[in-house]
Amino acid sequence: MATSTIDLHLPYTTRVAKALGNRHLHTALERATERMDGQRVAAMGAVEGERLRTQMRQMKEHALRHLPELLEQLESNLTANGAQVYWAKEADEVNRTLIQIARKANVQKAVKVKSMVSEEVHVNDALAQAGITAVETDLGEFIIQLAGEPPSHILAPVIHRRAEDIADLFQKELDMPPTLDPQVMCGVARTRLRREFLSADMGISGANFAVAETGTICIVTNEGNGRMCSSLPRVYVVIMGIEKVVPTLEDAFLQYQALSRSATGQQCSVYLSMTSGPRRPGDADGPDELHVILLDNGRVDMLAQGYGEALCCVRCGACLNVCPVYREIGGHAYGSTYSGPIGSVISGLLHNSVTDVAALPYASTLCGACRDACPVKIDLPRLLLDLRADHVAEGDAGRIEHLAMQNFAWMMGSRARYEAAGALANSGSNVLAWFSGGSIKSMPGPFAAWTDTRNFPPFARHSFREQWRARKARTKRITREE
Amino acid sequence: MSTRDEILNRIRVILSRPDLPFPPAVAPPLDAAERMTVTSATGEARDLALRFGLEVAKLYGTYDVLDSEVEARLALVNRLRTWADEEAAARKGMGLETGQEKMILSWAAERLPVAGLAEMLQDVGWQLVVPADLTTPESREAVRFIRFGVTGVDAAFASTGSLLLAASAGQSRAASLLPLRHIALVPFSRLYPTIEDWLAEQREAGGLDDTLRRRAAWHMITGPSKSADIEMNLTLGVHGPKFVHVILFAG
Repeated sequence: MATSTIDLHLPYTTRVAKALGNRHLHTALERATERMDGQRVAAMGAVEGERLRTQMRQMKEHALRHLPELLEQLESNLTANGAQVYWAKEADEVNRTLIQIARKANVQKAVKVKSMVSEEVHVNDALAQAGITAVETDLGEFIIQLAGEPPSHILAPVIHRRAEDIADLFQKELDMPPTLDPQVMCGVARTRLRREFLSADMGISGANFAVAETGTICIVTNEGNGRMCSSLPRVYVVIMGIEKVVPTLEDAFLQYQALSRSATGQQCSVYLSMTSGPRRPGDADGPDELHVILLDNGRVDMLAQGYGEALCCVRCGACLNVCPVYREIGGHAYGSTYSGPIGSVISGLLHNSVTDVAALPYASTLCGACRDACPVKIDLPRLLLDLRADHVAEGDAGRIEHLAMQNFAWMMGSRARYEAAGALANSGSNVLAWFSGGSIKSMPGPFAAWTDTRNFPPFARHSFREQWRARKARTKRITREE
Repeated sequence: MSTRDEILNRIRVILSRPDLPFPPAVAPPLDAAERMTVTSATGEARDLALRFGLEVAKLYGTYDVLDSEVEARLALVNRLRTWADEEAAARKGMGLETGQEKMILSWAAERLPVAGLAEMLQDVGWQLVVPADLTTPESREAVRFIRFGVTGVDAAFASTGSLLLAASAGQSRAASLLPLRHIALVPFSRLYPTIEDWLAEQREAGGLDDTLRRRAAWHMITGPSKSADIEMNLTLGVHGPKFVHVILFAG
């Protein structure tokens, strides 16, 4: 396979190096992110996009401010509608509950709708251990499940693979005749997955949002697998983060439209499935049982630690597509279920084990493109800076960085010290640059961390202050004659 | 303490902290007056129908805008004929007949906005199949190869080209989901300019939440099933219908 998988447990720098060294990955990312971003900009520009973002923000702030009441309302309405509601603090509680439900209903096979939260708690591993087959049914997720990979984009899980790679995989795994026609590949997947939908005992999905006033679970899809999973199997299980609750139906449709436009540039996704309970008497189809698992897994901690703003996220992926870092390294380099700017914020706060998670807040240039793209106006650069500050304050940043910051503060404390330090940096850097021919290719001690990965330009021979003094001395004072 | 109470109590304690940076202490809900209508559409019923058609055509759906129920009935038969010919051409010589070629997975006759459909279709050799139960393997096998689905709608929205369908007795979810081709019959009386107009009408009548909860599920459908997962290439008919035809008519 041309596009190699990156082992998520490798050290962060190795993951990034592998991603940067992969030419096919770069091609695939460039093709996809630019197009997705263009579609978003057009769709938000076609309506009062700024007003939509402002109203989304207000709606989510209200929902999070009243989170306990809304969750209670959601629970009581779901229960009244005939659903069963469960609460889980950690990932293993979700999986335990899910497997209990499956055992009780004698489930052999489950079909799944693409869901970030189920990736977050590793539902597939837990089901496999319990001897239950889990089939991913979103076309992209189906492809990466065949390939044995995790998703690399919130929305387009197989963004890292070219059509050629997918064709190879289908020929090997599904006996597809050789072709590069995506419509043919799609037909092969349709036939295969239709069998799974019709024979599965359980459907599993996340929730894009859930309506408190009616007890309604909403899922947004384009392919129709969401409708299949919530309609055909006899048991339907929803796993949702507690932050997904919205107060009213009007709020739900506001979020639905903001999400569709930001995620894929559509006015509306092809399907919006709104499930308020199990099949009613007289209905020809629909599940006999509806179970909803409400998950914390670090979300309450996020609120407590001052990162509640990240709970506004609607998982549209817009911040990934505009991020200059994501565009270069792709999703797997982040090593977490969630990648891109929002992934860098929440990966370390959720209760997940991610290798070198402390490095993620630094996987950003702080350019602010993510904040401008976000449909809920989440100030991602500020959250990333706060995480960096916490990191330093906790002492995780290392003794030398601490010392450097103390010295920096001492130096900045007086003008004389500042100027002396400038002169020292100037002469020192120019000597080093002279030895290595123009720009500095290696520096000693802790500074090597910079020059290991890039060159360091020498300081200007004369500082700004020196140049300013010289300029003022040259300038003649003109006085107007009376 | 139960996990539920533990989580809820903890959130309450955190939210009561005066130094909490987010969410803001005062966070009012959006009120009805300030709430925006994201899209817009204007005009008489026929203008709205044409707008609906324009929107659904952008998404690779097809449509008719007609002046009466009689014309709608004829249009339905014509559309089925055209599609059946396409299907037959695709099957030609491959010996793939299933015996379900002339069947239509449908909502119950009384749930369709066009009267006398079953009789008319029977005259030209078609059979409307209205499943009472689709939960057993046998009942599913009996409809598995049906290529055509016919439904009405509970509402339709012109500005986005969207159909809204409730699941209920006589209104199977399968009819708009399992077949490769779906025909939706939309009388002008069910057509609204935008989603928000429908929400406002139901809310004013005092029953929006009841309307929604009375059914186990509602589905909004905007165009044919699609995916862009293979390198951003558009592919149609991934799991749901690949062809969606909407017949809008005065009535």
